[in-house]
Amino acid sequence: MSAISVKDLTKSYGDHEAVKGISFNVEEGELFAFLGENGAGKSTTINILCTILKKSGGAISILGKDLDSNEGFVRDNIGIVFQNSVLDQKLTVKENLMTRGSYYGYGKKQIMENLSDIMESFGLDEMWDQRYESLSGGQRRRVDIARALINKPKILFLDEPTTGLDPKSRMVLWNYIDHIRQNDSMTIFLTTHYMEETADADHVVILDKGVIKAEGTPAELKSRYASNHLLWYAKNNEENEKRIRETEYRYVADHYDICHSGNITELLYKNRDVMTDYEVLKGTMDDVFLKLTGKELAYE
Amino acid sequence: MNKMMGLTKRNILVYFKDKSSILFSMLTPLIVLVLYILFLKGTYVSAIENSAKGLEGFINTADIEKIAAGLLLAGILGTALITIPYNTLMTIVKDKENKVDFDISATPINRVNIILSYFVASAFSAFVMTAAVTTIGLAVMRIDLGFTVAANDLAGIYMIILLGSVSASALFMIAMMFFKTSNASAAFMGLLSAAAGFLIGAYVPLSEFSDSMESVCNLFPATQITVLLKRFLLSDTLFGINEKIGGVDGGTFVDGIKEGFSMNAFFYGRTFEMGCSVAYIFAIIILSVIVISMIYPRIYKRK
Repeated sequence: MSAISVKDLTKSYGDHEAVKGISFNVEEGELFAFLGENGAGKSTTINILCTILKKSGGAISILGKDLDSNEGFVRDNIGIVFQNSVLDQKLTVKENLMTRGSYYGYGKKQIMENLSDIMESFGLDEMWDQRYESLSGGQRRRVDIARALINKPKILFLDEPTTGLDPKSRMVLWNYIDHIRQNDSMTIFLTTHYMEETADADHVVILDKGVIKAEGTPAELKSRYASNHLLWYAKNNEENEKRIRETEYRYVADHYDICHSGNITELLYKNRDVMTDYEVLKGTMDDVFLKLTGKELAYE
Repeated sequence: MNKMMGLTKRNILVYFKDKSSILFSMLTPLIVLVLYILFLKGTYVSAIENSAKGLEGFINTADIEKIAAGLLLAGILGTALITIPYNTLMTIVKDKENKVDFDISATPINRVNIILSYFVASAFSAFVMTAAVTTIGLAVMRIDLGFTVAANDLAGIYMIILLGSVSASALFMIAMMFFKTSNASAAFMGLLSAAAGFLIGAYVPLSEFSDSMESVCNLFPATQITVLLKRFLLSDTLFGINEKIGGVDGGTFVDGIKEGFSMNAFFYGRTFEMGCSVAYIFAIIILSVIVISMIYPRIYKRK
């Protein structure tokens, strides 16, 4: 059974069509990455799946149930980490989590039980009585995730969870998310601006202007849409250029950046007498995105 | 019900945990207090002394100060019952601005309960804060001036405070629908704070205004609430003074105080009796609830 099944989903705001008939499936327990630049329709789609917005057309089922006729069931079984924090700055971590838990009808005991798995690993116990506003960016994000997990959801939506975090905090956060995945086999629906975060995804969908441009595993997408790069450190002269004339290349600073979708080993072997200092870069999800949308994701 | 109570608790905590919000909501009542210390007390005392001319043997300085203090407390409470509910309800606008309403909407709390929780939180916060100010104010006045309030009047005061908290919350719930940003609602709060003292007659008794102006002011539930508070707060004091005078003046002193300090609500020459005022406030609450229940569900509906 699919955790999420979306068929021909559309969403319009007046004349503007934000989502134009997209279809995809998210299998239970998988890490699903939804990529697209700002305005591509990612957040609109998430908000529809989370019962916040109403769809204009199409069909959605969550955990096998139709979304429109089972809103309560859906809300009971999802958790969301929003792009911007939605917790109260002046309240302590305890007050924030206790009040949020009560939205699901839980008492103190049940909330503590639901949080027990992550209390220590997330370091919640250390910041329990601290005001949310006094926490660092990384700590806040951990509390945001704890809030999203308070109802022990089957599906966790992460809407650009690491935007604005420093690399270390991002890495730590991903360790926590991996921890959750391993322990609870939770389905994770991720949108992100950081392409490298999709490397471990089971399934990636790339959205552009409300339509799906491509989908597949990261490996499939890279093999289909990304080229490998050979960086050849050499002087920029005619003799060298002759050797790579057949390829797509450009000279950058002190090397040739050769974009090559074929067999790089063959190219290297042919020029082994001159190519003594080189580097091979595998195609990345950034390349996939650039190729499909003609744009690089904005790192905000 | 538990879910709604959880959200209500959160809304109450958001207000009480924000010191600046409490300060801003108490700013107008504090201004009333400062103005009283600076000059209002003198104005009140001199006006009361003028009314008491010829009755000096019956009315002493302590009696006059008790009346002035009662008027001050009514002014403080009247303004607090405007600014506290407004400040608490600004959470609605802030939640929309910061998309906290998305988080709430994605939980199993139903839409009606979301709206109700803001309303209950506002009425509760206003009641608790104003009741605390009342209790402290009465205690200080008791120690300092020997001010007394009969038990039934005391119950009346707290009932009126509750009525004021509910009516102001209901009215301001409607006002909050028009604000898209917290800056806009804060700007309106500034205007409201400045106007509140005049509107309820805390700075200048409404009797000093023209009949039309006084009638318009009395259309606001907060003004009616202040009038009722003055009546309950000063009932015991004025009764005691009347007893001391023993009918020598035919009741003109107490009537003069009631009229001069707007202890009766007038509407184009007609006096609102207490029952009429309470019924009017209830009518405003019911009307507001109807408007809220018609419009708010549309705001929180999935779009």
